Amino acid sequence: MRIKSGQDLATGLLFALVGAGGLWLGSDYPMGTAQRPGTGVLPYILSWCLIATGGLLWLKATLVEGPPMTSWAWRPVIMITLATVAFALLVDPYGLAVSMLVSMTLAALGTPETRWVEYALFAAIMLVLGIAMFIWGLGMPIQVLPKELSWR
Amino acid sequence: MEVASLFHNLALGFSVAVSLQNLFWCLMGAIIGTAIGVLPGVGPVATMALLLPATYFLPADGALIMLAGIYYGAQYGGSTTSILVNLPGEASSVVTCLDGYQMARQGRAGPALAIAAIGSFFAGCVATIAIAVAAPPLTKLAQQFAPADYFSLMVLGLVFAVVLARGSILKALGMIFLGMLLGLVGTDVNTGNTRFTFGIGDLFDGIGFVPLVMGVFGIAEIMSNLTNAERRDLLSSKVSGLMPTKEDLKRSIAPVLRGTLLGGLLGVLPGGGAVLASFSAYTVEKRLSRTPEIFGTGAIEGVAAPESANNAAAQTSFIPMLTLGIPSNAVMAMMIGGMMIHGIIPGPQVMEQKPGLFWGMIASMWIGNLMLIVLNLPLIGIWVRMLLVPYRLLSIAILFFCCIGVYSLNNSANEVLFIAFFGVIGYLLMKLDCEPAPLLMGFLLGPMMEVYMRRAMLLSRGDPLVFLQRPLSLAFLLTAALLLLFIVLPNVRKVREVAFSE
Repeated sequence: MRIKSGQDLATGLLFALVGAGGLWLGSDYPMGTAQRPGTGVLPYILSWCLIATGGLLWLKATLVEGPPMTSWAWRPVIMITLATVAFALLVDPYGLAVSMLVSMTLAALGTPETRWVEYALFAAIMLVLGIAMFIWGLGMPIQVLPKELSWR
Repeated sequence: MEVASLFHNLALGFSVAVSLQNLFWCLMGAIIGTAIGVLPGVGPVATMALLLPATYFLPADGALIMLAGIYYGAQYGGSTTSILVNLPGEASSVVTCLDGYQMARQGRAGPALAIAAIGSFFAGCVATIAIAVAAPPLTKLAQQFAPADYFSLMVLGLVFAVVLARGSILKALGMIFLGMLLGLVGTDVNTGNTRFTFGIGDLFDGIGFVPLVMGVFGIAEIMSNLTNAERRDLLSSKVSGLMPTKEDLKRSIAPVLRGTLLGGLLGVLPGGGAVLASFSAYTVEKRLSRTPEIFGTGAIEGVAAPESANNAAAQTSFIPMLTLGIPSNAVMAMMIGGMMIHGIIPGPQVMEQKPGLFWGMIASMWIGNLMLIVLNLPLIGIWVRMLLVPYRLLSIAILFFCCIGVYSLNNSANEVLFIAFFGVIGYLLMKLDCEPAPLLMGFLLGPMMEVYMRRAMLLSRGDPLVFLQRPLSLAFLLTAALLLLFIVLPNVRKVREVAFSE
């Protein structure tokens, strides 16, 4: 059996895995009665539908020529994810300024095209704009600076 | 009688839409939409998601008018980039690149932009009237729907979304199931049981629509755009001679009419909308043309038809949302999100309970289209200059707005973590060539379908045949089955592939 489309195979695998996970997690949800369908009915049906779709895709991957899996661009994916996570983790304890700076710098590391002088200028503008717009303008309840440094 | 009530309704709408406040929100929406449309890599869905929290502070009619403005503004803006830079700002203006950019290279960017704007405006006007005419009878029909009918209608909607999705049918199908499953996460309202929450408190209320959309459409887009090396062939920032020649106008009339009709019809279909409309309009023009060989070399018909079609479709896709409360595509899903924020449950009751809002929104679409034609052509220089902002900086700004936008929803940093998660998922799906739009439709319709399924089963005392016994429900299900059967036939598949490969 030769795989003719890595992409279809991977998609099928993903669907089937999620479906199997849904079945497993949903195995103890009550099914109710026909008149009052319970919590577990739709998850059960949908999980099987996903598994079936995944199976068909798998079959297709062995029968029909299709695109292969292409490689991931790890750098932007990792850096943009880190940038988002950094914002989420830093904004409450350390305020908007710190979280913005860390997050934007991580995002800038996501592409080799970043020019650092230009970036520094841009980051400064964004920082001022962001604080002015969201904290002073819209009055969002976030601190600007970390608690220890804050004068408010 | 019918005509009189039509005028009465439109008059009511205009009286709401021309209030100074609403004019302002309409203008804001149109401007923001155009800007977003011009910038490649920022779609209307992500923008609307971004601005959804902000609309919380507006009155309901202003909020919806602005959100609608963003959508059709983006259609206009997208064409500008397609023509001048050969870079579609929006998926729906991909085909405009083919002939629009060639016209620009021949020094005829002005006429191309003008025809695109005029065609869009005409299509917008027609579509606005179409909504006003179609909405009342459809609403009346919808009021007679029983739960079983609603359920079957949603099945039909999802089948349409599969059939009309680009790329593999199996993948679209899987994405719908995946979306529905995601939609079930959280507390089951009927029984109080939680589903798939992994004990995470933030998931008890379900996965938020905005974090999901922003992750899948916003963050994932940034990741993928940063991968593709950027190449922008900006022709010139000065566009001279906007006026199309008489010959241009004459050649455009029929394509604009056909594009409007086709787009208007396709826009109503679930899963269809602007993208499909512009692709099919282009294909139709090429088929009908006596000189198909000039398409792709700067034929004005190739700009006029898809641009009219995508705007008509953008507008008529409001019809199922406004009358039935069913989102026909991701953008309409955002509109429903906007309504829910203001405590309006979308559905046939909106027109009766809030006629001012309903008709005001429709009237504002016409006003918005007028604003756009006035705004777009003279301001093209400014829009073009926006393109000079390199993506390496733009991406950072978009990322920041995504983060702060989601944070501001509930002042919850955890929801920002969700967009990081859904961003990676979205990128994975993109790599697998899975369209995210069906996922979103499933996500929204899944929980609604469960509610209607339960109601129908309760009413029928547990007899599942109720879905086949009600004539409307049966008709919807039969249509859905036929569509599915149809798509498996090899001939239809071939046509479908051609339509999307242009």
